[in-house]
Amino acid sequence: MSADDWHVSDDDLRAYAGGTARPPWSWSTEAHVAACPRCRQRLAQQADPSEVHAGWARLDAELDAPRPGPVEALLLRAGVAEHTARLLASTPGLRKSWLIAVGFTLAVTTGAAHLSTWMTVPIPLLAIAPLLPLIGVAISFGPRVDPSYELAVVAPLHTFRLLLLRCAAVLVTTMALTALASVTAPSFGLVVLGWLAPSLTLTFLSMALLPRLGPVAAPVAVGVGWLALLAVTVQRATGESVLFTAPGQAGLAVAAAVAALALWKVRAAFDTGRVADPNTRRTM
Amino acid sequence: MTTVQAEGLSLRFRRTTALEEVSFTLDDGVTGLLGPNGAGKTTLLRILATAIPADAGRLRILGADPRNAAGRLAVRRRLGYLPQNPGFHQHFTAFEFVDYIAILKEIVDGRHDEVRRVLHAVGLDDQRGKKIKALSGGMRQRVGLAAALLDDPALVILDEPTVGLDPEQRLRFRELIADIGEGRTVLLSTHQTEDVATLCRRVIVLNQGRIRFDGEPSELAGMARGRVWTSQARAEGALAGWRTGNGDFHNIGDPPPGARLVEPSIEDGYLTVIDAAALAGRAS
Repeated sequence: MSADDWHVSDDDLRAYAGGTARPPWSWSTEAHVAACPRCRQRLAQQADPSEVHAGWARLDAELDAPRPGPVEALLLRAGVAEHTARLLASTPGLRKSWLIAVGFTLAVTTGAAHLSTWMTVPIPLLAIAPLLPLIGVAISFGPRVDPSYELAVVAPLHTFRLLLLRCAAVLVTTMALTALASVTAPSFGLVVLGWLAPSLTLTFLSMALLPRLGPVAAPVAVGVGWLALLAVTVQRATGESVLFTAPGQAGLAVAAAVAALALWKVRAAFDTGRVADPNTRRTM
Repeated sequence: MTTVQAEGLSLRFRRTTALEEVSFTLDDGVTGLLGPNGAGKTTLLRILATAIPADAGRLRILGADPRNAAGRLAVRRRLGYLPQNPGFHQHFTAFEFVDYIAILKEIVDGRHDEVRRVLHAVGLDDQRGKKIKALSGGMRQRVGLAAALLDDPALVILDEPTVGLDPEQRLRFRELIADIGEGRTVLLSTHQTEDVATLCRRVIVLNQGRIRFDGEPSELAGMARGRVWTSQARAEGALAGWRTGNGDFHNIGDPPPGARLVEPSIEDGYLTVIDAAALAGRAS
């Protein structure tokens, strides 16, 4: 008997169609059906139409299943829920180009701190690193940077929750990169971690001011304020500043907590599009 | 069923009055919103979509008061909104983008099935795996419409969806909107009087922040009855006049004695009810 003469028995075909065939019988049946038009035709007659429909639906779902980009794939591997990963994938502050820019900035500032042997404090890193999450959050929320901002505002998911989600993701990402940069400068001691408290303070303060100043003016005002504060407190000779002493850091930590509280208080203001659109903020 | 009840809605942007004492109700079916640029159409739609609040007036949408957070949430759960310039995350596919909006709409059970359903409804079955940046303008509009149709909304707000579409795409879009208008309330902002003529059983004309007309399209055309005539030369004193394809002039205004009066179109009625300044601008 040649291979062409052999066909799957009706019982085996019925079991395969009904999903009750067990390996290895199901494997050999599948291999034969794939190569034999006659058995495929018999299978189509045996199969329950609802099962065939469900199979097509599963195939459809598989073909449509979003192919996550690098950021989304990384988030999924880190255990982030699928819908949260999709929301974060739309965050400009998590784009590859932005992360590369952050990495480059940190490399330059850390390198500058290393090269400036007269410094006892890595002031380029400590001055610039807190601005990175501030800018990252600023480019992740608002009508000018989020193309579907208006749709997000009128969606049932509260805009403040979306903002917090994106803000947390940007903070974690930039702070992780900054921590990596800090590891390369152990000679400065613990002061190299002095960027942490101002990073939180600046970011929370900027978000708390957003309803009042708008998405551009708020981060600009806070960033300029930070640089001005540095300008008046940094000692030119050593790079030291009271901001990077224990009392200064404690003060910044308290300021971060106050700013976070202020942000929580104004959360309702994020519920409409006026918060981020200076042209439509209430003036009466 | 009355879906929207607006009474005395007013809104000012700094020194500009965007809406002044606007009152109307909306029922099931497609209602057209006509008006020149700057008439306040988009502002009105943004208020109805809960993107911005009005300064004054009373508003109930689907039985809820959008001035408070609970009311806004209730409205947003039953709202479909296509903004004037719907932004798209270009790196998403059509499926991924609509899926992203579905997450914002807090659709949990059968989310991907719902995304496939709305993409099928707008005829994008074959395009759902394509990146947004690779789609034509008409197809992007359809993606935006698909997002607006998620979760079978009771109220659909469409802000100039046919702008920039070629005649064939516009026709296809009109068919879609006519289908959507079956059994739900659709408010369609447009510059195209043809859209109103083919789709709407009611039309509201807005100009300089005030409602100038509210009635059936045939009644709007009737507003110009006895004020439209044709002539072989440009008519002196006509508020608006233009040369038609057969060489005659089509005039709107106070006809001279013995003028060859013609049956007015919706466009003639629209031009008649908006103010004289806008008429003069159109004529020039």
